[in-house]
Amino acid sequence: MPVRASRVGRRGVVRAPVAKAAVVTAAVTPGPSPVAKAAVVGAAVTPGRRRRI
Amino acid sequence: MTHTSLDELGPVDYLIVEFPAGSTTFTGEMATELVALSKAGTIRVIDLLILVKDDDGSIEAMELADLDDLGEIQVLEAELAELLAEEDVTHLAAAMDPGSTAGVIIYENLWAAPFASAARRAGGQLIANGRIPIQAILAAIEADLELETVGD
Repeated sequence: MPVRASRVGRRGVVRAPVAKAAVVTAAVTPGPSPVAKAAVVGAAVTPGRRRRI
Repeated sequence: MTHTSLDELGPVDYLIVEFPAGSTTFTGEMATELVALSKAGTIRVIDLLILVKDDDGSIEAMELADLDDLGEIQVLEAELAELLAEEDVTHLAAAMDPGSTAGVIIYENLWAAPFASAARRAGGQLIANGRIPIQAILAAIEADLELETVGD
């Protein structure tokens, strides 16, 4: 794998292979009303939402 | 790069933004936003690489300096610290699909540094952090709605 020579042989900081995360846009775009769905998410993180404990 | 004492260092995160094969439409908008975040003192870009994963899984890592036209992102190039080692590139590229291109950004959260420093001075220790996926928030909302429906 060609990388800059200064990066070779050094200790890394990412300890393990990274797994692909779920694509965020995929969570808010499907369905009949993606705009409404995004608005619901927005409302969920708005101050004053009741905490469930 | 300015030297920051360990006590004043903000949390360092990474992002990998993947562009699937054939879906790349670079307009420079990402560079503009990244430079704006840096100029505003929200983040400090520590390292930045462009990774290309071939169909056979082989990886090519390009430095900013390798690119012909850096545009406004050139102001960041001079400040990069080359934190990532070769093995990091391999680990990060594991998340990529064959045939895709990805931008990898390592950045310090400058906005969090004063709070983190204050917490340390108060004797606090960061014992966990993380990101809540939008998917999890959606699932929680949907579960709430189901409960409300059942309760009707």
